[in-house]
Amino acid sequence: MHDDPTVAMLVRRARDGDKQAWDAIVVRYAPLIWAICRRYRLDRPDADDVGQSVWLRLVDQLDVIRDPAALPGWIATTTRRECGRVVGVARKREVLGYTQDVAEIPDSDPAAAEAEVLLAERNAALREAFRELPPRCQELISLLLADPPVPYAEISGKLGIKIGSIGPTRARCLQRLREFPSVAALIGADSIPARR
Amino acid sequence: MARQWADDDDDLMAALQEAFRAERDVPREFIEAGQAAYTWRNIDAELATLTSDSATGLATAAAAPVRSAEASPRFLTFSSADLTIELEIGPDGIIGQVVPPQPGRAEARPASGPVLDTEIDDIGCFVVRPLPGSPFRLHVASSGISALTTWITL
Repeated sequence: MHDDPTVAMLVRRARDGDKQAWDAIVVRYAPLIWAICRRYRLDRPDADDVGQSVWLRLVDQLDVIRDPAALPGWIATTTRRECGRVVGVARKREVLGYTQDVAEIPDSDPAAAEAEVLLAERNAALREAFRELPPRCQELISLLLADPPVPYAEISGKLGIKIGSIGPTRARCLQRLREFPSVAALIGADSIPARR
Repeated sequence: MARQWADDDDDLMAALQEAFRAERDVPREFIEAGQAAYTWRNIDAELATLTSDSATGLATAAAAPVRSAEASPRFLTFSSADLTIELEIGPDGIIGQVVPPQPGRAEARPASGPVLDTEIDDIGCFVVRPLPGSPFRLHVASSGISALTTWITL
């Protein structure tokens, strides 16, 4: 796994009692937990139960996490295990005495599991990098991503830039985004061969 | 396959869209509950998770005696590595037992409001009265063992 300076710093600060750092960790990885719960088709109360268990365990584990870069993998693994527990309990609900075989849990593929973690990491890094961009870059990118699409003429009017400048401005903004440390770390990790 | 976002602007825009969509999917309260978990950092206890709940029919055969639907209490079982906590939730309080039996103290800790503290007797039984504010967690401490349940919603 690559080295994300943001995560290491957040873990260190949360360990030292910084509640804001903890909040940031939760914001960063709640989507990963949520996505896994969705994949397991958990209903809302079960997903809440899983989320709670994962965060409580992490609170307990903060002091013993030696390698913060392993955190997303730990969160994903813990979430899958908790989802398996909840699904197993739900099965018992349906058929008394029937316990779900671990092999049935839709997770046995390690490559897919790693891809899920990498995607969550990429998403988190991109969101954080985006929020560090200058406001005009954020506005432009938001307008370009809007659904339904906003016509270029309207974007031009809203931001007071020429239609012809939208493309080049976007390119500059995206370049800044790539230079953000955690995004740059991901790009660097991707360029290392033999990890596919 | 999806490495191009590092070089290609259109792919990077698509990746951003995906990142925001993943975040939008997550309910606000799901995040807030996670953030609130930090307040438990100072409690040194192992986690006891819910293994049986008569209210959801999530019951082992032993835990749910048949009673009339209206007045029946709710039975919950929580388990940690070392301890099982059985709860019977009635209209005006909670009767609990820890297994294996041992004396100590039990605390019901609501998300907000006062902590209800009670004694666990020699055979592991305790009573919490009145009902704590919901949701709450139960913290059980005896010599050498400290366990904390996940949130209980009444």
